[in-house]
Amino acid sequence: MQITTFPHPAEEAIELKLTGRFDAHESEIFRIALTDALGNGNHHIRVNLANVEFVDSTALAELVRGMKRCREARGDLTLVSPSDPVRVILELTKLDAAFSIV
Amino acid sequence: MTDSKLDSYRKWSTTPLVERPRYSVVIPAYNEEWRIVPTIGAIAMHMSSFDVPWELIVADDGSTDSTVELVEELDLVNLRLLLAEKNGGKGSAVRRGVLQARGDIVLFADADQSTPIEQFEALAAQLNDGYDVVVGSRAAEGADVANKSLSRKIFSSGLSFIVRGLFRIPVADTQCGFKMFTSDAAELLFRRQLVDEFSFDLEILYLAGKFDLKTCEVPVTWIDAPGSKVDAAKVAVEFLRDLCVIRWNDLRGRYDADNHPLINDPHYPQPKATQAA
Repeated sequence: MQITTFPHPAEEAIELKLTGRFDAHESEIFRIALTDALGNGNHHIRVNLANVEFVDSTALAELVRGMKRCREARGDLTLVSPSDPVRVILELTKLDAAFSIV
Repeated sequence: MTDSKLDSYRKWSTTPLVERPRYSVVIPAYNEEWRIVPTIGAIAMHMSSFDVPWELIVADDGSTDSTVELVEELDLVNLRLLLAEKNGGKGSAVRRGVLQARGDIVLFADADQSTPIEQFEALAAQLNDGYDVVVGSRAAEGADVANKSLSRKIFSSGLSFIVRGLFRIPVADTQCGFKMFTSDAAELLFRRQLVDEFSFDLEILYLAGKFDLKTCEVPVTWIDAPGSKVDAAKVAVEFLRDLCVIRWNDLRGRYDADNHPLINDPHYPQPKATQAA
């Protein structure tokens, strides 16, 4: 999985654009990217999932953990444009109700 | 105007099939509470995108965790959950699932999505070209294998050598959990399957050769899923034992319909042609 980080132009947020399969093998690089973003004082994080074809349970847990970290820092974590399979997985796991999804 | 893929999925998940499915996907599951739901989501979304009738079968193998409850709660109308009173081995779960499948094409796929469902089309194309059995392969030229441990690489190489050299099974990767069958081939093979454990794949491929079914391998992308239940050393011993058992079964004629220990048992699943609609 590849992660590209850039400031979101319209909001005071950092966007992490993920590409590929987000599974247990990739959770650490996501955690590092999120830690870097938070460490730079950005507490509003957008995670773009448009180019992610699959998320496993470890990845979902990582996203929940990330959301908690952002909220503890008085920010938030928003999921952006999840691909169709990721959207379905979020629905089946009922996590679509837990996240802010745009 | 065609519906979006997401619309096709929503229709599949809420509208019961009224015709025979074109495709059946069988997932064997044993204590898969951590992995089963994302896998079902990925498979359901991809298979629905073809916009043809298809069914999903989860063949539980006596799970003691919450696998069954999680699958039941999904409430997907074209998902059938088959229960087992006790853990009988992966081979028994796949057999139950495949023998219940109604599709023209039957795929069984592991619950960990280690072979992504997006490989489905590559295998189906070979069935459409006249093959009876198509095997997803991590050893065929062009396969993309990620994160495979050294022990599993050694195990696979040794296995391949024995299987091809001594048992004349012309398949380099017998154990990949992603295999596709025509409905006739599935019926013929899985009704004769006697091995319930890990090496049932080998028996199925041995039988495919015995009954002259046209078989090929298709290279797949494969990502080793963490938490794999495969213990390479233990499995190697079981595998060698089962190789001998399969050969012995054949020599004794136990795969012939008249002499098969299960086919003539009235409690054994009946052929689909004799089942009520």
